[in-house]
Amino acid sequence: MHVLTLLAPRWWGLKNVCRLGGRRTLVKAGSLLAITLGFWVGIFIIFYRVLRYFQGVEELGDLLAYKLLSMVFLTFFGLLIFSNILVALSTFFLSRDLGTIHATPVSMAELFAARFVETILESSWMVLLFGIPIFTAYGLTYRGAAGYYLGLVSVIVPYLIIAAASGVTVTMLLVQLLPAQRTRDILFLLSVLLGVLLYFLFRFMRPERLVDPDAFTSVVAYFRALSAPSSPYLPSTWATEAIWPLLRPTSISSAFYQGFIWMTAAAAVVVSVGVTLVTYPHGWSKSQEAGRPMMARLLGCLSLGTGCRRRGVSQVGALMGKDFKTFFRDNTQWSQLLLIAALVVVYLYNYSALPLDRARMPTFYLQNLISFLNTGLAGFVLAAIGARFVFPAVSAEGSSFWIMQTSPLTLGRLLWSKFAFYLGPLLVLGLVLAIASNALLQVSAFMRWLTPFTIFFMVFGITALGIGMGAAFPNFRAENLAQVATGFGGLLYMLMAMSFIALVIVLEAGPVYTLFMAEARGHPLGMPQWLYIGGSFALVLVVNVAAVWLPMSYGIRRLSTFEG
Amino acid sequence: MIHVENLTKRFQQVRAVDEVTFHVAPGEIYGFLGPNGAGKTTTIKMLAGVLRPTAGRIVIDGLDLEKEPIEVKRRVGFIPDRPFLYEKLTGLEFMSFMADLYRLNGQSRDERIQRFLELFELAEWARELVGSYSHGMRQRLIMSAALLHGPRALIVDEPMVGLDPRGARLVKSIFKKLKRSGLTVFMSTHTLAIAEELCDRIGIIHKGRLLVEGTTAELRELAGQEDSPLESVFLRLTGAGPDGEEEIDFL
Repeated sequence: MHVLTLLAPRWWGLKNVCRLGGRRTLVKAGSLLAITLGFWVGIFIIFYRVLRYFQGVEELGDLLAYKLLSMVFLTFFGLLIFSNILVALSTFFLSRDLGTIHATPVSMAELFAARFVETILESSWMVLLFGIPIFTAYGLTYRGAAGYYLGLVSVIVPYLIIAAASGVTVTMLLVQLLPAQRTRDILFLLSVLLGVLLYFLFRFMRPERLVDPDAFTSVVAYFRALSAPSSPYLPSTWATEAIWPLLRPTSISSAFYQGFIWMTAAAAVVVSVGVTLVTYPHGWSKSQEAGRPMMARLLGCLSLGTGCRRRGVSQVGALMGKDFKTFFRDNTQWSQLLLIAALVVVYLYNYSALPLDRARMPTFYLQNLISFLNTGLAGFVLAAIGARFVFPAVSAEGSSFWIMQTSPLTLGRLLWSKFAFYLGPLLVLGLVLAIASNALLQVSAFMRWLTPFTIFFMVFGITALGIGMGAAFPNFRAENLAQVATGFGGLLYMLMAMSFIALVIVLEAGPVYTLFMAEARGHPLGMPQWLYIGGSFALVLVVNVAAVWLPMSYGIRRLSTFEG
Repeated sequence: MIHVENLTKRFQQVRAVDEVTFHVAPGEIYGFLGPNGAGKTTTIKMLAGVLRPTAGRIVIDGLDLEKEPIEVKRRVGFIPDRPFLYEKLTGLEFMSFMADLYRLNGQSRDERIQRFLELFELAEWARELVGSYSHGMRQRLIMSAALLHGPRALIVDEPMVGLDPRGARLVKSIFKKLKRSGLTVFMSTHTLAIAEELCDRIGIIHKGRLLVEGTTAELRELAGQEDSPLESVFLRLTGAGPDGEEEIDFL
């Protein structure tokens, strides 16, 4: 009985948001739904085309599709376990309502049941997001009957239960060793490293070689070597073996593996309940201990005992110093820099791996064209990084925003100090992307200067858009800063940043083409062409200035009316 | 020192604060009482510059808060009821940060920080992260930060929440000492004994309107309860029954 009561606040909260949210909530929900649908359609198209392509490969096609399915299940399982551990840490140990719940006559079994259901629901969204279009693509490609879709539900449900039960069990044991806060930090860091590793592995496998006939023989050999079922003790293998007979006739029965998964799910829940009943009380009391920041011990300048015996600094200096310390003392923040580093390496690796010599266009033309388009791509990368770090910069003040509101500090100064804080790193990143990719492409002298200059000015606009829009749509109550950019304001920021980048590219495209062709053909430019080029670049400058000034003023204006 | 005229704050259809007018003289401690939801915190947030009034005027130390917010904030210290701070800064770093925000310079800066940390018994914890502080320690840290720049007026929302008896006694002594040196204090509290002990005058707000104000003796006279404790006077003036006997009969 208590289980439903414990789950009720979630449901009521959702109902109240729908009931009281008004138009803004509807717009937000509509936008998110549209993005999700777009995402589904994208994934579906990719998988459908890949599977159709596999179907065309004689003898080997089904094996490739089977291997892909097993990879999908294996990836889901790994991600689900990780996500379940992180969610279980929150639902069982860190959730704010636990203090109240522990003071009520709720038994441990009831608490387990309620929190277990919450953990499954919170961690399984990813399978819904990625799984639905993938499994639909399989169903349509192999003309799966109703039995396939029913079998899919019958496999996915226990699959999610196994992952959740395993995640909860591991969490219970981990908290015995470390305080929950520290466990979450370490796991977060590990998950980032895991993400980086997977990213590198995937990229350096060079999947583009699949469509390259020259490399195909080695891929065939690779898949032949993998033709036997792998890792027979993993639920991902059982799930694949249960689903595949519903798509293609095989000698193995789907029901056998379905029964196997259900029994394993039941056993996993029993183990999880047992471990929870034995270890939870001790783990809960340990979870109340606080951890110390990891990075603080690595960087001397951040160590807790130093840095204050000095004369005062300016307000901007104080704000930037505070932002620097809070960023590097928060493991969930600085660890994401590793992802950016991986992104830069792979970004540049892509340029080094471009098969320009095999293209039909002249190499020098293609190199410079790619270098010019690289301005937009680098802009996009910077905008995406801005969404993660710059947009939430104002929201990062969180519940402490009252300090800014009551101190003798103008909001303009606050926002410009945040602007200055993020501008430097983004400039360095943008210039590294532009200069290094140009060097790898061996572009002309003109392009070697143009791309970094364009990106240099663009970074000002992207940073200002992030700070300004982040100030206009703050979320001071967000528990996780990564979630701040997923709201309506974040979406608006991305749209505006993309439009700004596109506008700069469009304005520069004409004059760059004129200049480049004149140089290639050795024709001097006339006065009207110089006027056209000068006018276009002047317009680019105006757009850049507007991209800095307008969002910053808008952000300051909107934030000054904030009442929270 | 603090002049509030026809202060009004509307949240959509609700008038949380409705044409409130009062004045607090220099060196005076003014207690602001009222039941839950009466408009105390909304008034305090407007005085601190966190919320903008819908109508009315706030003048502190001769400066209009609407026209010169930065100058006013430079002269005011604010202590909120809930001590939200930067969890990833140490107590010492937080004090240093606040000193910089208020542009405290010179050699006395670090001395002042140290003296306030010692005064509020936080020196031992100064190099620990605020995230590991107890509620009472955070409250004491906020108080020391609010006094660090030597404000001329102090605006306090529930000063004793989360403080142990030792901390509460310390705060009372500090308020009394600061009052003698000319500091003006505007504070809201539910602890009527503290209001009676500390405040020169008390204003009672109910449903957004300032019902009465005066010394405790004047309030007793207004309520017609000359010999009653302040609690009875408060309940009488805010329209609650003397002890709620009828409502709790079912217990």
